[in-house]
Amino acid sequence: MIQTEQLTKQYGGLTAVADLNLDIAQGEFFAFLGPNGAGKTTTIKLLTGLLKPTSGRILICGRDIQTDSVEARKVISYVPDLPFVYDKLRPMEFMMFVGQLYGMDRAEAGGKADELFETFDLDETRDQLIENLSHGTRQRVVIASALLHDPRVIIIDEPMVGLDPRSARVVKDVLKARSRAGTTVFLSTHVLHIAEELADRIGILDHGRLISVGTMDHLRKASGHGGALEDAFLALTRGEEEATAEEAPAK
Amino acid sequence: MKSLAFFGLLARVNAQAAGRRVGSLRQQSRLMVTVIALFVACYWVAGYALFFYGFNFLSTVAGLGAVLLDRMLYLFFAFLFMMLVFSNMIIGYSSLFKSQETQWMLTLPVRHVDVFCWKLAETTVLASWAFLFLSAPMILAYGAARQVTMWFYIKLGLLYLPFIVIPAALGALVILIVNRYLHRRVFKWALFITGSAAILWSIVFLKPMEVAGLQETQAVSVLNRLLHNSRVTLQPMLPSYWVASGMIAWGEGGGLRGMLFFLVLLSNAMMATLVCVTASGHLFYDGWSRNHSQGTISLSPPAGRTVRGERRNILESFLDWLPGLSTTARALVAKDVRVFWRDTSQWSQFVIFFGLLGLYVLNLRNVAYDWNSSYWANFVSFLNLGASSMTLATLTTRFVFPQFSLEGKRLWIVGMIPGGLRRILWQKFWLSSVCAFIVTLTLNIVSSCMLRLPGWMMTLFAGTVVMMSFGLCGIAVGIGALFPNFGRGSTANRQDDNPARIVSGFGGTLCFVVSLAYIAVVITALVLPLWPQFESGEITASSPTPAMLAAWVFVVLLTGAAIVLPMGLATRRLRDFEL
Repeated sequence: MIQTEQLTKQYGGLTAVADLNLDIAQGEFFAFLGPNGAGKTTTIKLLTGLLKPTSGRILICGRDIQTDSVEARKVISYVPDLPFVYDKLRPMEFMMFVGQLYGMDRAEAGGKADELFETFDLDETRDQLIENLSHGTRQRVVIASALLHDPRVIIIDEPMVGLDPRSARVVKDVLKARSRAGTTVFLSTHVLHIAEELADRIGILDHGRLISVGTMDHLRKASGHGGALEDAFLALTRGEEEATAEEAPAK
Repeated sequence: MKSLAFFGLLARVNAQAAGRRVGSLRQQSRLMVTVIALFVACYWVAGYALFFYGFNFLSTVAGLGAVLLDRMLYLFFAFLFMMLVFSNMIIGYSSLFKSQETQWMLTLPVRHVDVFCWKLAETTVLASWAFLFLSAPMILAYGAARQVTMWFYIKLGLLYLPFIVIPAALGALVILIVNRYLHRRVFKWALFITGSAAILWSIVFLKPMEVAGLQETQAVSVLNRLLHNSRVTLQPMLPSYWVASGMIAWGEGGGLRGMLFFLVLLSNAMMATLVCVTASGHLFYDGWSRNHSQGTISLSPPAGRTVRGERRNILESFLDWLPGLSTTARALVAKDVRVFWRDTSQWSQFVIFFGLLGLYVLNLRNVAYDWNSSYWANFVSFLNLGASSMTLATLTTRFVFPQFSLEGKRLWIVGMIPGGLRRILWQKFWLSSVCAFIVTLTLNIVSSCMLRLPGWMMTLFAGTVVMMSFGLCGIAVGIGALFPNFGRGSTANRQDDNPARIVSGFGGTLCFVVSLAYIAVVITALVLPLWPQFESGEITASSPTPAMLAAWVFVVLLTGAAIVLPMGLATRRLRDFEL
């Protein structure tokens, strides 16, 4: 569903993403982790076609995001960490608008929106303008609208920020259910226990390089730590830091 | 998704949102709505009266009335065209490359070129409506002076539509090319160097006119000079020429000739749009991607280079060198200067404002009047003071008023320093006042020298400009803190990131109205003691009279009030301000 081949993005002299090779299958829940500045957001922007890679290519459901971008974007839903919404619309109007942008007719979009309103407990917000909603509620509206057209790939950046525990539970359940139903979920987060709880596979990016990818067991083995993901993550990223520090004087 | 369906959906959603914005006026303070409505009404009435009087006066010039009237129109549209190109470039940059909405749209299953077309249309409307709104009294006055029928105004709408499209396409094309091929930092320095070179060139090569030759056949020379200098606006390849010619033709009842210019405008607008949209296919997405890849570069040191905490740049070294600044004040000033310098849309508008003011001052020496006459020199110098202070009021409203609101969610960082928000407020006041007075004082001294004003007059005007810089900044900072516009909603949509939107609220309008009132009172106070001499046609004062000194003391007191009142009220409000 998501394939990257030798994906590289350079900003001037800085390599933000280096030779990234990913192959994420249909229905897989993939968590993408990494320290600050590791290149996660750049990778997400490359996957969604927002940024142009310096080299390499990205296939979404077999379609190149650069050369066949409209078709590729039809099957993607992207929820950034700071999503855009039209403040002067009501949540239902925004949902209908998004549905129509993805080619749904009003009846179909309305039906789906009703279901998602119920799932995300948004019924009480129907008559309010989005500008009057709290951050968490807005986040729920955005996530609900991203699921409206039944995307085959969901790319989501830090979805739990600002959500109360109940809403966070709902989002986690919905994403997991979608994944089981065949949707590929690519989730970038700093909250390790969410990745541990939901992901089928976890990829760890550091200094633009994918330093480890696999199941929890694989990461534990690779890091030499048998405990929680946090220990494995710290061990793997520390190892990379030390390797980088050792390489630097040699240059 | 088909292009038309996409545009239709966006148009519907935006119309819905616009309707709600207008509807929300009912929920806002009646005072605000009344102040804005009164301001608009006063502007329209005063503008119409002024232009109507001016056009009628020009019409009475024997044999040349119609020529002068028409030439005014050519000049007006030439300047309007230039301003529209600038305005489209500035708004287009924010709209195409910095807007969260554009980023969101680029992830939708629509062609990039459709996103570009929508944003181009949006930019055209945003960049043009204010100019058309502001020029309406002049157009109405022209129509009244020409005694046209209602049809003239309807046909004028036809001319305006393609006319605003051409600068929009041109501005967008420039922005596309610059974004695609020039790094932001390179562009910034290129613009800075070009601007400085242009100013130097104007100073060195634009020669003042010969005064001696004018004294003999003054009126004819003035007209000749005016017509000669403005002949560039008659270039038949300029869109401003087409729109003015079409307007003149329709004003005179020349239907076919008017239609010809309309068709010329229309075909060129269509061609410009076609070129721009075709170019966007290659440039827009590449430019967007490049633009959003640059932010990270500047944040990251080059490979192998470490950032040392003690490294000083020019700004820090300069601030260290300034005596009397505390460490906190230095940090706050450095932060404000950096934030301003790194926000392209902010400083580019600032440069344009001061560029226009500079051009105006430099042009003073080419105005065909006899500076040996103390009457005209004084008359123009007061007009000059009025124009400079009005520009300064626009600047303080546009750039200084939003400063407090711009802190937005970051207020907690600066608000926690010793001295709290009160200190922030005064730091913003001093920084903006010093910046404003350095620039306006320089321009004022240059213009006074050109007008060959006596030393005491020069000192009087320089002192007034310094007073006004402090007074207007006091008003802007004080009202900015009294009526902050933090916006609502998530960070992505928050209005506090866009200074232009902050100004558009009640506080911004109030700030501008109060600033204009302050300027009006100051200039009236300074003119009053000289009024009898103005009426007699000759200014004989060779040194300041007691009445003039009294007027200046009044200006000092008024300026003190303009600083202390809003700043005091704002400081009191900040005591109870919840971060």
